[in-house]
Amino acid sequence: MKKNFLKSVVMAVVLTAAAGIFSACGDDGGFVEGREINVISREDGSGTRGAFIDVMGIYVGGVDRTTVNAEIAPGTSHVLTNIAGDRYAIGYISLGSLNDTVRAINVGGVAATEANVRNGSYPLFRTFYLAVSDGISPLAQDFLDFMVSAEGQEIVERNYIPALESPSPFTGGGHEGTIVVAGSTSVAPLMERMREAYIALNPGVSIEIQSVGSGGGINAARDGMADIGMSSRDLREGELVYLNAIAVALDGLAVIVNNDNTATNLSPDQIHDIFVGEITRWNELD
Amino acid sequence: MNSTKPMHKFREIFFEYVFMFSAGISVLALVMIFVFLFANGMPAIAEIGLMEFIFGREWRPMDASPSFGVLPMIAASIYITLGAMVIGVPVGIFTAVFLAHMCPARLYVVLKPTVNLLAGIPSVVYGFFGIVIIVPFVREISLFFTGGGSGSSMLAAMILLGIMILPTIVNISESAIRAVPRSYYEGSLALGASHTRSVFSVVLPAAKSGVFASVILGVGRAVGETMAVVMVAGNQARMPESIFRGGRALTSNIVIEMGYAEGLHRDSLIATGIVLLVFIFIINIVFTVVTRKSAPSAD
Repeated sequence: MKKNFLKSVVMAVVLTAAAGIFSACGDDGGFVEGREINVISREDGSGTRGAFIDVMGIYVGGVDRTTVNAEIAPGTSHVLTNIAGDRYAIGYISLGSLNDTVRAINVGGVAATEANVRNGSYPLFRTFYLAVSDGISPLAQDFLDFMVSAEGQEIVERNYIPALESPSPFTGGGHEGTIVVAGSTSVAPLMERMREAYIALNPGVSIEIQSVGSGGGINAARDGMADIGMSSRDLREGELVYLNAIAVALDGLAVIVNNDNTATNLSPDQIHDIFVGEITRWNELD
Repeated sequence: MNSTKPMHKFREIFFEYVFMFSAGISVLALVMIFVFLFANGMPAIAEIGLMEFIFGREWRPMDASPSFGVLPMIAASIYITLGAMVIGVPVGIFTAVFLAHMCPARLYVVLKPTVNLLAGIPSVVYGFFGIVIIVPFVREISLFFTGGGSGSSMLAAMILLGIMILPTIVNISESAIRAVPRSYYEGSLALGASHTRSVFSVVLPAAKSGVFASVILGVGRAVGETMAVVMVAGNQARMPESIFRGGRALTSNIVIEMGYAEGLHRDSLIATGIVLLVFIFIINIVFTVVTRKSAPSAD
């Protein structure tokens, strides 16, 4: 009996000690500049990656020169989680998805804000497209009209930059049925707000949103699996044969680092060099 | 009374067919998966070239002249699985020995359900646990040994998978150990061996085929695991450099890029599935051989 009691006690002690070791990790003082840069990129085919490598001049002559040492985070939320937990990481996300768990770097001395994207001083931005085929249903067309109307663009304005200068008011409505929207994980949050507003006007409509990435959304719209495809990159020539691309919003791309990181400003060239692997340590930036 | 007899017979036959049909579904599913994989994957392998595909070290699917080499993923899958075995197998087998022969009854009622509960946790939850706890832990170790590294690494995946395969190894090993006749243990004691010596030198060797089977099933689980690995392994598609750096497993390669892929890229991902299937196939054959061998030697 005594021996059994002892075993239970030993077990409890071991478990507590292990938990202690795990939880004690993670605080070693602060940001050390000589450390390696942990580059975090998105997966091949992601619209965010496509837009980023285009704008930064990383995609040259048909070759994506992103360093092979870059970690691949499959989704915006993964990028945020990884960078929030790693002082030496750098990555990029949609400006509309930025939150205070990470910090956006100034690019060439310009802060990553919507105002700066709008006035043209911030160089990193892309267009959100809706891809539809010619055989679009009247209901989906009505939803599309809503998104590019004054009401729809007002919703865009809350987190992004409207794609249309002076949209006309929404005149449609009165439909019932189901719309399937599929595509970019970056466009999905905007689409959810659009859905909410549209269903408030048309209670008989249900809208299903699938976050499958830009390429997936474009394929789904082409194959008729979705009424509307969401893309966060420009459609390619081959895709424009089957689909029409309608610009709905502009979105800045934020280059983000951990809140403890001391870097505040990077030139476009430095960002380029980091992501192609020519700069590998934080102290090589000065 | 007489009139119910043919009815009876009809029912009997009817239900036999219902059961047979049910049994056929799993076979049909397997056949369809095979047909789908090979019909879609084989042309891609032919187009890329078998050698180029299996031994190519470059995976650049989106370039204008793309290269599809899965050797980095094959290597990473093997490394991660071996690492998970190094961590999980000793812990799992010792746990099974403890549960079967040394555990006080009161502790058993806590420990056994805990191990079972471990099996029921969804892999995405494991992945989240990995990001929050294991990755920062590995980052510290990695900083200490190599002066860098983000923690999202093959080591993190090994530790996580080492934990995930525990229930498989513990439960099957424990049953195998318990199936060893009590007389073996008693005989050993009668010859003067201590309790621990009897368990490790007599009972455990007698149960070795069952224990080995549990390890193989654990390998299968580790090779096939996807979500948790994607979340902690870093996913770089290049030849693995060190356990403190990331790597991309075969499963991860498929799940990361499937949503976007089209044309040859999509088919090459399906072909990656064929490679994975061949892995699982080999594991299953080994498992069958091992368990068949054990059957006659039990008495």
